[in-house]
Amino acid sequence: MLLELVVAAAMLVGTFFMVVTGIGLMRFPDVYTRMHASGKAGTVGVAMLILAATIHFAPTDPFLSVRGVLAIVFQLFTTPGATYLLAHASYVRSYPLHARTEIDELEQWLPTYPDDEFGHE
Amino acid sequence: MSAWFATTTDVCLIFLFVSAMLCAYRLLIGPGAADRAVALDTLTSVVLGMICLLCIRYASTLYFDAVWILTLVGFLGSTAIAKYLARGRIF
Repeated sequence: MLLELVVAAAMLVGTFFMVVTGIGLMRFPDVYTRMHASGKAGTVGVAMLILAATIHFAPTDPFLSVRGVLAIVFQLFTTPGATYLLAHASYVRSYPLHARTEIDELEQWLPTYPDDEFGHE
Repeated sequence: MSAWFATTTDVCLIFLFVSAMLCAYRLLIGPGAADRAVALDTLTSVVLGMICLLCIRYASTLYFDAVWILTLVGFLGSTAIAKYLARGRIF
């Protein structure tokens, strides 16, 4: 009973972050803010949902819990790297910042080489 | 598994499906390749969560191996797309 309460809480938190990410992907104006929304699902959402399965199967299948903790660690290591590489690539290829962007600190450090081949707006 | 727990799992699965549909919409309309790569990355994460919830719902550990394999290799696609965007080639 207590175990089910903890698992249900973890599931609800993870689902909340997933839904927030979906809404953010829909409504944010440019690619960088969408990456900010996407990072929530990639780290907190997935970690909470894997944690729910890990706790739920911990009494019956302990080795699955080991795999679950490994999965959380792998996810927390890999996804931010991929998001960083995508942000770097889209800045270098001059993907437009939103019109209301206040400050662009990367402007003086990172040269951009726009290329029309990829057809972004 | 008690009844309210099964209902909670089902509701969470429905909301995850809604989130996956929003990601798929961004994957369709995204103005550039980087937007589509971000949406695909997010869709991978949402599918991971759905597999976890289905494991709990069906009381089966059969698909859990897919979860941690997907956490290991799921970032390779967006990394390859990012490298291709930045340099015009992957390697």
